[in-house]
Amino acid sequence: MIEVENLTKKYGALTAVDRISFKTKPGEIVGLLGPNGAGKTTTMRMLTGFLPPTEGSARISGHDIDTDSIEARRAVGYMPERIPVYPDMTVRAYVTFWARLRGMRRPASQVDKVLKQVQLFDRRDTLIRHLSKGMRQRLGLAQALVHDPPVIILDEPTIGIDPQQVIEVRETVRALRANHTVLLSTHILSEAEHVCDRVLIINKGQIVAQGKPGDLREKLQGGALLYVEIGGATAKDAKALLAGIPNVTSVEKEDKGWRLRISTSVDVRGEVSKRIMSAGYTLLEMRAETTSLEAIFLELISKEGSAT
Amino acid sequence: MQKTITLTRGGLGAFFSLIGFGGIVSAAVLLIWGGFSTLVIAALIVGLIGMIAWWRLVPDDFRAFISGRSVRYGTATIFTTVLLVGIIVMGYLLIARAAVTWDLTISQRFSLTQTSLNVIQRVNRPIQISGFYTARAAGLREIDDQYWRLYETASDGMIRRQYYDPEEVPALAQQFGVTEDAQVFLSYLNDDGTIDYSLVARVFLTDQQESDMTLAISRLLVAGTLTVYFSTGFGERSPTDDTQEGISFINNGMRESGLVTLPLDIGALAAQGGDIPEDASALVFARPLRDLTSDEVAVIARYMDRGGSLLLLSDVLFNRIPFMDQGGEFNNWLWQNYGLRALNAAVIDFVTGQTTPLEIIGAAIYDETDFSENLDPATNPVLFRIARAIDVNLSIENTDISNGRLIRSSEQSYGETDLTTLGETNTYEIDETTDVPGPLILAAWAWNQRNDSRVFLIGDSDFASNGQVANVVGNGILFTNAMNWLSHLQDEVEFGAQGFSTGVPMFYSRDQLDTITFFVVFLIPTAVLIAGAAIWARRVRR
Amino acid sequence: MSTWVVFRREVAHYAGSPFAYLIAFAILVLTGLLFREELVATETTIPNPAVIPNALSFFMVVFAPLLTMRLVAEEKREGTLELLLTAPVPDGSIVIGKFLGAWFYYTIVIGITLLYQIALSSVTAPDLGHTIAAYIGIWLYGGATLSVGILFSALTENQIVAAFLSMVALFLLWLADLAGQVISNIDAARVVRALSLQGHYSTSFAVGLVRMEDMVFFLGIILIMIYLATRAVESNRWR
Ligand SMILES: Nc1ncnc2c1ncn2[C@@H]1O[C@H](COP(=O)(O)OP(=O)(O)OP(=O)(O)O)[C@@H](O)[C@H]1O
Ligand SMILES: [Mg+2]
Repeated sequence: MIEVENLTKKYGALTAVDRISFKTKPGEIVGLLGPNGAGKTTTMRMLTGFLPPTEGSARISGHDIDTDSIEARRAVGYMPERIPVYPDMTVRAYVTFWARLRGMRRPASQVDKVLKQVQLFDRRDTLIRHLSKGMRQRLGLAQALVHDPPVIILDEPTIGIDPQQVIEVRETVRALRANHTVLLSTHILSEAEHVCDRVLIINKGQIVAQGKPGDLREKLQGGALLYVEIGGATAKDAKALLAGIPNVTSVEKEDKGWRLRISTSVDVRGEVSKRIMSAGYTLLEMRAETTSLEAIFLELISKEGSAT
Repeated sequence: MQKTITLTRGGLGAFFSLIGFGGIVSAAVLLIWGGFSTLVIAALIVGLIGMIAWWRLVPDDFRAFISGRSVRYGTATIFTTVLLVGIIVMGYLLIARAAVTWDLTISQRFSLTQTSLNVIQRVNRPIQISGFYTARAAGLREIDDQYWRLYETASDGMIRRQYYDPEEVPALAQQFGVTEDAQVFLSYLNDDGTIDYSLVARVFLTDQQESDMTLAISRLLVAGTLTVYFSTGFGERSPTDDTQEGISFINNGMRESGLVTLPLDIGALAAQGGDIPEDASALVFARPLRDLTSDEVAVIARYMDRGGSLLLLSDVLFNRIPFMDQGGEFNNWLWQNYGLRALNAAVIDFVTGQTTPLEIIGAAIYDETDFSENLDPATNPVLFRIARAIDVNLSIENTDISNGRLIRSSEQSYGETDLTTLGETNTYEIDETTDVPGPLILAAWAWNQRNDSRVFLIGDSDFASNGQVANVVGNGILFTNAMNWLSHLQDEVEFGAQGFSTGVPMFYSRDQLDTITFFVVFLIPTAVLIAGAAIWARRVRR
Repeated sequence: MSTWVVFRREVAHYAGSPFAYLIAFAILVLTGLLFREELVATETTIPNPAVIPNALSFFMVVFAPLLTMRLVAEEKREGTLELLLTAPVPDGSIVIGKFLGAWFYYTIVIGITLLYQIALSSVTAPDLGHTIAAYIGIWLYGGATLSVGILFSALTENQIVAAFLSMVALFLLWLADLAGQVISNIDAARVVRALSLQGHYSTSFAVGLVRMEDMVFFLGIILIMIYLATRAVESNRWR
């Protein structure tokens, strides 16, 4: 369980994290979404006790990260963004080391269990220097899980590994839901959608939106997006035509075509093609756009910009 | 790469910030501790340089520190560090004062022997050990001090130690007679704690500090009680003459050993019908240019009856009636009473290794007496120049007398009696009829056990001159051995060397050396290397 | 407990690191050569029972930085420091564990040089008490040099820079023994000397005398250096 209140981190003049507050319930997987430099890592570092916050407070399983740091740290399993490894240790020795350092006296069986969980048991006697990137990623996960902490914090756990492994890691994380609270950061909305129960979107250190992934998408997109390319029309005519279609809230020029924003989740495709045809133009391309995270961020950031 | 460089800068900056704080803090500590001095300024300058370097290297860090970004942690660190250092320094100083030591050496080198404790027991007036060490000898002083402080503790403060830098206090150093770095002197202290300069004895330091110091203390204990008179007025070599021909070196040496040396005009004494002073432990004749008169011989005879000691240095004198002329009254008196006399013959020795046969190396030492201690023709030869042959009557009738030879010339030597020719033309020729056949005696002694009177006769005086004593080790030893005995200094301060053990010398064969070399330079290191390679190879295969 | 865990990891690292064996090899060969020199030089006289510790007293100026340069700097570079600092252990126990690991390794190496002492005993009867005193001294002395090395390792991320800076610092500390040669004021020279490593070894342990103040000095240096290193490690949190 994580409780965060007005957590703020300033690096000199730069405010990396700006008064964020949120709470997680036990057994919940919460995603921290944001572009590069949003403050995800900084937030996690404060929660794991690596960085002291400039202002605000946070509690992990009821332990304040500032005044009761050791206990708070004991309750956390942390996998940093860059997987820290000792290349000259074997897989098992590495996990055992962290288990011991976090207070386990006889970690052997737990180490084996967690290595099986992340599918590294076969490689238990391999030197870490000989592990692939994906294996190291899973090793990072193993070290975060080994002491069975109530709260697990994962900083971009799927970055830089192949799709197959991404799926495996996601499975593992989802399996943790049973008895852990998980906070993970990611760039990828679909990942958040698949894995998380709840998503916090942060930008420039502030939470700009939060909620269930599906709701969030809806809310942010404000409906669906449609990409249309028209042949034989002047830009002006095309725009006028498209804007005239019911439920279309905005039309923007995009590459060779247009991006339509549709107010509700009604399907307007039939209407669009009909109107183009009847106007005597050719419909060159039409597709529903899946929202890229970047688009949402752009949206949010531009909103931010206009707001201030 | 970029990153590395900036971080290096950061590291360097932190390093300099440490130097900066260190300098400033130590300046403060020094100021509190020892008052204002050049050292405080130096520390302050170092501190400022560190600070400036820090500021130049990582201006951001510096500004952040000053402006308070990290002050919360930074100042806390500085304060706690200063506190920690302060506590440790205090603890250190307290413990250093308590001087808690454990002497682990099996020979108990840093613990006083019974001999030393006995000597310390006899100290009944406060003594100061004055060490004159310059900064260059600071390490030496540290080692020596570990011995000297044993004396301070064992004597319950009766012996105290005090150090001076001879470069800081040159006047005091001169007063003590300091000639080089790291010399140590002993002196009594007056009731008001000031130094009593009337008796200052130097401690002759070897690498056996304890034995050296104990010897010096026992010398000081007898110092002032033994007075040696130098005969003057007959053209003798002067104890105050510091040219090559003078004998100021041996005079100073005697004083440093705790002997009091005074001049005495025997001629004037005899003319007034006086006597040699009661306190005379020994009387030295350092080559008078004339022989003694009957009155003078009588003065000496009376002195010897009281148990006096005579050191006679008689040289070949050309064209003159010399001191101890062969047929003279003094020579005859000595021959009759002690079985010793000087011959009117110059020793010519063809096996000398020197430039001329007139320069003689003592070829053999009779080692049945203590005089021969440390004298060895091979290692510490004695060198004479134009020496006079002397004679010993080993079968003297008086049974109270024991006498003996100490040094003789080689087999290929003889005594040239034609001193006139020798003096005028510097030539010599063996004349079987008149010359004395070698080998010839050059130094001899005699002792009367009834009245404990002592005589030591040497057929040369050049050997004791400043020019010779300073360069020829054996000459100094000969003089010291003779004087220790004559002045009774030896009886007072002598103690066995067995108390001061050193160590076991090492002997090995070539084979042993080769084995050890193989063992330590090759076998052990290589074993370690192989172990490393094996472990590495095993790991690499994983 | 956590100190023990870190200590064990460090010892395991040294035991499995070819570099550590190479350094041990270098130390042993060099002391071996100097030992042989002493044997040859003092034939038929009394050899110095402290010859090996004396040699080590200089070698540590060079080797201590090599042994300690990676201790913290590498953790920083590899990012493992972030994990260490989020483990539920005090920062000090990490530094202490690492320091003890390095000291343990050093203890093993000087333990091996004791074999040379056996070689010496085969040709003479050296004053073993003197030897023991010198070994106690060089053990503490080595600990102090290692603690200086760990501080510089904690101050920078670059191992080479850490090694270089601590070598310079140790060399100055070593050289300060000779302060008297350049400082003409003897009291100043003695103060500087009292701050030097050699000043607390060459005139006491090396001659067979164990002085409590020297032990306090070396342990004090270790304490201060570890404290500062801990602060330096901790500073990664607020930089
Ligand atoms: N140690 C630091 N000193 C100064 N500024 C820092 C430091 N660490 C991070 N920052 C800044 O704080 C801001 C937030 O960084 P943070 O690493 O938390 O972002 P992030 O959301 O994790 O980004 P990414 O997706 O790239 O990992 C950035 O502008 C970054 O430059
Ligand atoms: Mg990040």
